[in-house]
Amino acid sequence: MSNWKTLLLRIGEKGPEYGTSSDYKDHIETCFGVIRREIERSGDQVLPFLLQCAEQLPHKIPLYGTLIGLLNLENEDFVRKLVESVHADFQVALDSGNCNSIRILLRFMTSLLCSKVIQPASLIVVFETLLSSAATTVDEEKGNPSWQPQADFYVICILSSLPWGGSELAEQVPDEIERVLVGIQAYLSIRKNSSTSGLNFFDNGEFESSLAEKDFVEDLLDRIQSLASNGWKLDSVPRPHLSFEAQLVAGKFHELRPIKCMEQPSPPSDHSRAYSGKQKHDASTRYPQRIRRLNIFPANKMEDVQPIDRFVVEEYLLDVLFYLNGCRKECASYMANLPVPFRYEYLMAETLFSQILLLPQPPFKTLYYTLVIMDLCKALPGAFPAVVAGAVRALFEKISDLDMESRTRLILWFSHHLSNFQFIWPWEEWAYVLDLPKWAPKRVFVQEILQREVRLSYWDKIKQSIENASALEELLPPKAGPNFMYSLEEGKEKTEEQQLSAELSRKVKEKQTARDMIVWIEETIYPVHGFEVTLTIVVQTLLDIGSKSFTHLVTVLERYGQVFSKLCPDNDKQVMLLSQVSTYWKNNVQMTAVAIDRMMGYRLVSNQAIVRWVFSPENIDQFHVSDQPWEILGNALNKTYNRISDLRKDISNITKNVLVAEKASANARVELEAAESKLSLVEGEPVLGENPAKMKRLKSTVEKTGEAELSLRESLEAKEALLNRALSETEVLLLLLFQSFLGVLKERLPDPTKVKSVQDLKSIGVEDDKSSAMDVDSENGNPKKSCEVGEREQWCLSTLGYLTAFTRQYASEIWPHMEKLESEVFSGEDVHPLFLQAISSALQFPLQ
Amino acid sequence: MALLFKEQAKLSAYRDRRFSGTQEEFDEALRASTTVYIGNVSFYTTEEQLYELFSRAGEIKKIIMGLDKNTKTPCGFCFVLFYSREDTEDAVKYISGTILDDRPIRVDFDWGFQEGRQWGRGRSGGQVRDEYRTDYDPDILSVRIIALSVKELEAQRQLVDYGTGSLGAYPQAAPSNYGNGRRGGGNYGQGGPNRHGRGGDYHRKRQRDDDRYGRDNSRRNTDHESRRDTDHDMRPEKNPRFRESGDSDDDGEDDRKRRS
Repeated sequence: MSNWKTLLLRIGEKGPEYGTSSDYKDHIETCFGVIRREIERSGDQVLPFLLQCAEQLPHKIPLYGTLIGLLNLENEDFVRKLVESVHADFQVALDSGNCNSIRILLRFMTSLLCSKVIQPASLIVVFETLLSSAATTVDEEKGNPSWQPQADFYVICILSSLPWGGSELAEQVPDEIERVLVGIQAYLSIRKNSSTSGLNFFDNGEFESSLAEKDFVEDLLDRIQSLASNGWKLDSVPRPHLSFEAQLVAGKFHELRPIKCMEQPSPPSDHSRAYSGKQKHDASTRYPQRIRRLNIFPANKMEDVQPIDRFVVEEYLLDVLFYLNGCRKECASYMANLPVPFRYEYLMAETLFSQILLLPQPPFKTLYYTLVIMDLCKALPGAFPAVVAGAVRALFEKISDLDMESRTRLILWFSHHLSNFQFIWPWEEWAYVLDLPKWAPKRVFVQEILQREVRLSYWDKIKQSIENASALEELLPPKAGPNFMYSLEEGKEKTEEQQLSAELSRKVKEKQTARDMIVWIEETIYPVHGFEVTLTIVVQTLLDIGSKSFTHLVTVLERYGQVFSKLCPDNDKQVMLLSQVSTYWKNNVQMTAVAIDRMMGYRLVSNQAIVRWVFSPENIDQFHVSDQPWEILGNALNKTYNRISDLRKDISNITKNVLVAEKASANARVELEAAESKLSLVEGEPVLGENPAKMKRLKSTVEKTGEAELSLRESLEAKEALLNRALSETEVLLLLLFQSFLGVLKERLPDPTKVKSVQDLKSIGVEDDKSSAMDVDSENGNPKKSCEVGEREQWCLSTLGYLTAFTRQYASEIWPHMEKLESEVFSGEDVHPLFLQAISSALQFPLQ
Repeated sequence: MALLFKEQAKLSAYRDRRFSGTQEEFDEALRASTTVYIGNVSFYTTEEQLYELFSRAGEIKKIIMGLDKNTKTPCGFCFVLFYSREDTEDAVKYISGTILDDRPIRVDFDWGFQEGRQWGRGRSGGQVRDEYRTDYDPDILSVRIIALSVKELEAQRQLVDYGTGSLGAYPQAAPSNYGNGRRGGGNYGQGGPNRHGRGGDYHRKRQRDDDRYGRDNSRRNTDHESRRDTDHDMRPEKNPRFRESGDSDDDGEDDRKRRS
């Protein structure tokens, strides 16, 4: 990379590029000296690279802003082009709804105002345009209130850019900025407080009570207002332009041309509730809230930082996470070395965990945050690991209130994290969970972490890692291997079933075809032993042959899948098949899940059969004590969803190709026609053979492009048919899923007159089960809870939690089927209010 | 995203010598690939451990263990095939350099698995790519060596022997003559160790031939491309994410056709 690029990239960093100096002023001067010359040499390259740096390293915006201010003194033309370019990018971002670009470019423009590059009044116009668009959106008559997430987002963008130039705005255009802030207050008074109860991490209100009344926008306005009343002074945004104020004053302002905001879709004309709910869902998917504050650390632990600085640091961290994903070293190093004069480890941990747990989903997979946390633990070995451990302890204490989806992610993260740090954890702190009933959320949490650890490693290793709390061995998954019923014991005579199994096994070794095997089974086993024994022998034997590894399993299913599908052609039989699979792999949760997943892939079992099996008695009893049934249900839903997404992607690709092919074929026809008409004019009469080679070529092109177009159209039709079928299958699946939840909950939830909320459910347990409640040993100083939620209540809580989690996760697939679901499931007479609450909060939409 | 620092990074430092195209074609194959190569894997690491780790990046289509050509046991590398490109990228971005079974594994894009590549090509029968391993960042990956007892535990673990069992010398290799029964299956029986050894060798030779043949005809028959082909090819896909209903799944004969 050339020198000038490195200087731009590394400005503000300690490193070889800038020698020993860590002073921003020196950096800017050095960089300016090189860049001004470079612009003359290779001006075309500097501009886009500079913009890229500013956009992708937004925590350095003030440095780039000042640099541009200095360039403006010498080379107005360059900076004019740059401002035009920023404006154009901003308009593109608005048109395409690119949230990160909109936010960062607005911040960049605000910063350019500080270095006297952008005219203050024209920035105010941008703010006012955004604000008026927001106000129109939430207006019942003129706009479409379902689209409030976009309006909120615009307002958040204005507010969040103010820390980068509020002071200058207040100095140069005090009335105008005041007008904007008043306008934002007016906006807040007409919008609806965006109730996010379905997206809270914890379900007890206690922790979030201070924030509960204010949503994100309101809270941000508070922070900005207190910043304003504090003379716009904050510590987290460097102000390097001040060192150059004397020079910058001479700069010539550039004007921003007006911008145009994207118009929101028009509201549904028929006032259908489901449709406006879907619109609101779409809007919040396009303009998601970036962060929800987690607040897990006690106030005395948190760094003493004013609220606006906290907000700015969160912005920095989220920006680095977003723009530097995939660049491990830089990501960790920028996160660990933000340009702020205070410590922020606790804030960093809270921000990272808030992303892992974010509902409905974070921008990246848990895997990414896992990596970042590992790297930060290594980059800040003295400070960060202890903070992470503190976060884990804090979350553990609140695990019973943690959302089920967030809890699952926490388990995945923690097990993976520990696997990278030699599985070292002070398990003795948590050994007391063994005294809790087997359904206690803390106990199940520990058990599931150990389960995942064993999957990532091996049993003996994990057993060794819990040495300091060896009693926890009880929570480890079984060590035993597969549960093969027909293994031969020496000296004992083979039973008939053992013989049949051995025979089947021999046939596999002899590479008999599935067809021959089916014939043999149908002639030899089935008529004598009946369906159940036949199924048991087949499942046990074939799974045993495939038990050695994932690949062995896949190979067996690939070769002999038809044996299963012949035996179990319908859902009823497939439910029995699943039950057999789980018997064979009863000691291995992972292999049960993997086997079922693959069988669904080959369509040996349907997703409906899986739902039915998960809601069968053997599993229902596990709902509150193990994650296994939920994992399998989750896999089945996920696979169904992935397949729909695949089809949609295929269709959109083919559609694009069809357009291209259409054009090519039309062009070819036009060319041919042109050639034909040309010929007819030659020498008064048509001479077809004038240039037969060319005509032949054109004709064949027309044919070929026509065929290509046709074949693409056909494959598009085929894919669309598949998608339609998949969507109608999804509807059936969703109906079954919700009916199943409804059914089991109805049997177990207490009378609706007794419990009206989840909180009631938690306290009922306390009253009813006082006699059996566990008294936790107080001697070893463990946190005491004199009573635990009763078993039935915990069962209800877990099941409702998963109902919410699945509904929220697949909301976008649920909305299109809402009317059907409302009429067939949700509106029944005996639907328990807690069931409806779970779904309403997941969809953030009131059900009648 | 993150373009600033990416342009410095090469797609892969390793250039597979079996790939016969140009460097550009190689890079293109890597850019489109849904296969990752994983190196520095412990010999004891099982497919299930890999499945647990890599499924956190996305649904896995297939795992192929790298095997020592002499012993038919894992020799420190493997391939994982995903269904989606995005998941493949995430696996490379977020898993490479992290720990599995106490070892920092490396994850690279791979140009696409071909039959035969599961056999280690090192002099000792193990992996050859070990020699290229220089790119770990010492700052990030200072892995402390752990207590002795880990070694003791390791010693108790069993290497998975892919050379035995009823599914053939190597499961991926077996289907090539599966279904016609003409070969009688002598190579797959439960004979003594010598027979196993021979069976494996026999296979390896055949696959090499297959490999060369396949390479000349369709050099870049990567997964990605065969997936794209499914538009015109509605035959049941192998290792489907979710097979379409109504696909006929006729046994042996169809299987043979697909392979011929």
